Amino acid sequence: MTKLSDSTSAPVIEVREVSRSFQSVQKKPGFRGALGLLFRPEKTVHEALKKVSFSIEPGSFNGLIGANGAGKTTLLKILSGLIPPTAGEARVLGYEPFLRSIEFRHQIALVMGQKAQLWWDLPAVDAFDLLRAIYEVPLPIYRERLELLAELLDVKRHLHTQIRRLSLGERMKMELIGALLHWPKVIFLDEPTIGLDVLAAHKLREFLREFNLREKATIILTSHNMEDIERLCSRVLILRSGELIYDGEPTGLTGKEERRLRIRFLQRPSLDELSECAGIPKEQIHFTHGTEAESLAAHLSVRQGQIVPILQRLFARFQVVDMGLEEQTLEAVIQRLYEQDRIQGDSRP
Amino acid sequence: MNTALDWRAATLKNGFRDATAYRVEFFSDIVGSAIVPAAIQLVFWHALFTLGGATEVAGMTFTDMIHYTIVSVLFSQVRGGDQDFELGEMIRTGTLSNYLLRPVSVVEFIYLRGAAPRFLIAGLSLILGLILSLWLGGASPVRVCGAMVMAVMGNVIHYQIGAVLSTMGFYWEDAYSMLMVKNLVVSILSGELLPLNLFPASMRWIWESTPFYLYVFGPTQYALGRWTHLEFLHHLGIALIWMLGLWFLIRMTWKIGIRRYLSLGG
Repeated sequence: MTKLSDSTSAPVIEVREVSRSFQSVQKKPGFRGALGLLFRPEKTVHEALKKVSFSIEPGSFNGLIGANGAGKTTLLKILSGLIPPTAGEARVLGYEPFLRSIEFRHQIALVMGQKAQLWWDLPAVDAFDLLRAIYEVPLPIYRERLELLAELLDVKRHLHTQIRRLSLGERMKMELIGALLHWPKVIFLDEPTIGLDVLAAHKLREFLREFNLREKATIILTSHNMEDIERLCSRVLILRSGELIYDGEPTGLTGKEERRLRIRFLQRPSLDELSECAGIPKEQIHFTHGTEAESLAAHLSVRQGQIVPILQRLFARFQVVDMGLEEQTLEAVIQRLYEQDRIQGDSRP
Repeated sequence: MNTALDWRAATLKNGFRDATAYRVEFFSDIVGSAIVPAAIQLVFWHALFTLGGATEVAGMTFTDMIHYTIVSVLFSQVRGGDQDFELGEMIRTGTLSNYLLRPVSVVEFIYLRGAAPRFLIAGLSLILGLILSLWLGGASPVRVCGAMVMAVMGNVIHYQIGAVLSTMGFYWEDAYSMLMVKNLVVSILSGELLPLNLFPASMRWIWESTPFYLYVFGPTQYALGRWTHLEFLHHLGIALIWMLGLWFLIRMTWKIGIRRYLSLGG
């Protein structure tokens, strides 16, 4: 028996020092590369997760974000039991996920926006019928749930249509219904709104919020769409190159009192000069990357009360071409974090 | 219904619905796979006996060969499908993840879903076999039913071997060529192309040491009355031992292999 506790107040997910590395074969181009691959394959090890630790409370809605390759999906795969961690320990609902006990599998669901789980040539209702039997859902309860989910997601009229004939948004909704029919306690959603239009994504978000509130299911959502995160998640975990760099409320990232001051100079000052003149740490200053004109602009994260004195000092010392004041949006904060990741990545040997 | 039976019955139903989603495709597959091997055999026997002037080959006359060809077609229809290829592809592409999190055995689930149409074909072949037994004479309905049981067991064994081989995908990413080689060997050693009595006595051990003869040759021999009931029971016992041994092998290879699964593709 792998279950540790049944207490509802205890964290539903516990991750301690979890690391995961992957070994892959490097495939070089050309005939020599093909021969090399046959006789002497060159293997490299990539660390997808590095000593990640956190815990998740029951009934919470959590966002897991990070740039491509940051380790989000790897973490979800470990938590859902698809792959084991290389080191560390993960517990979901008190179970060790990779052992995939039948009881554990009855209580979780994983939806991957890029991986269809329903059968292409069959109508959704056929797949749901099979899932009902697999999860041993009594028929009256199944009918009630299907009715409710189809109603909430507005797909009742499509239940008898072949999956392959549905639009991407409708297919995603069917995937969600298939994943939720057994009323899982923990739901992992990997980019569920990928490829959806604004309306479909909005409806899906509303549904997820409603389901979380109504059923108190614990949800971990990964998404590149910051609107998903801002509207749904009370907590955000940010992964960068396999490391957990932020764990807290989304507002903690944007900083309610913080503003983003954008200034374009005639001649680009050095980071040291700008930091010294503005009187703020270098970490709060970011130069824009891009064209020559764009590279003359800097973004300064400052508090509301600092804006006027900083501007006065900058105008006195540098030639400023134009300026603007921006709200700190989650999207902008995350974009900067990604940019830092890219710069770090680019400077690696 | 018992829940253990419930999901299996639902899986069979779902698999059958999937296989028959496109009717023309479904029927042309059955007819094509029955006609092509039968036609090859008939042309071959005609050349050997009518044009070549042979009267008997390995103790079998032209009529015996024709009977073998007709009856063996019924059992080659029941022979294993391509679910093992599906398993291998799922390991390679990461779609296995869709099934690993369901609270049922993935190996059994894939088998049942893919076997559903074969079971229907087995039923139809059984009816045809019973009609043929009356037409050809000599073969009792009991023999035809027993032979069909052996053919269905052969179907299970075929998948079990494929399920073990597909775990190579956990190590080498792709198990396609191994499964392909297995199918080529099966087409020769199952007796679906030629009766295995054509093998010289000194080479009999080759097909006897594999379970493939239980797919088509064994059932055909029994249905045509060329095996005694005792011989049939002996081979049925061998089939059971293979099934049991392979069941253990599947559990072992999957338990070890799954640790290397990468769940690629998103």
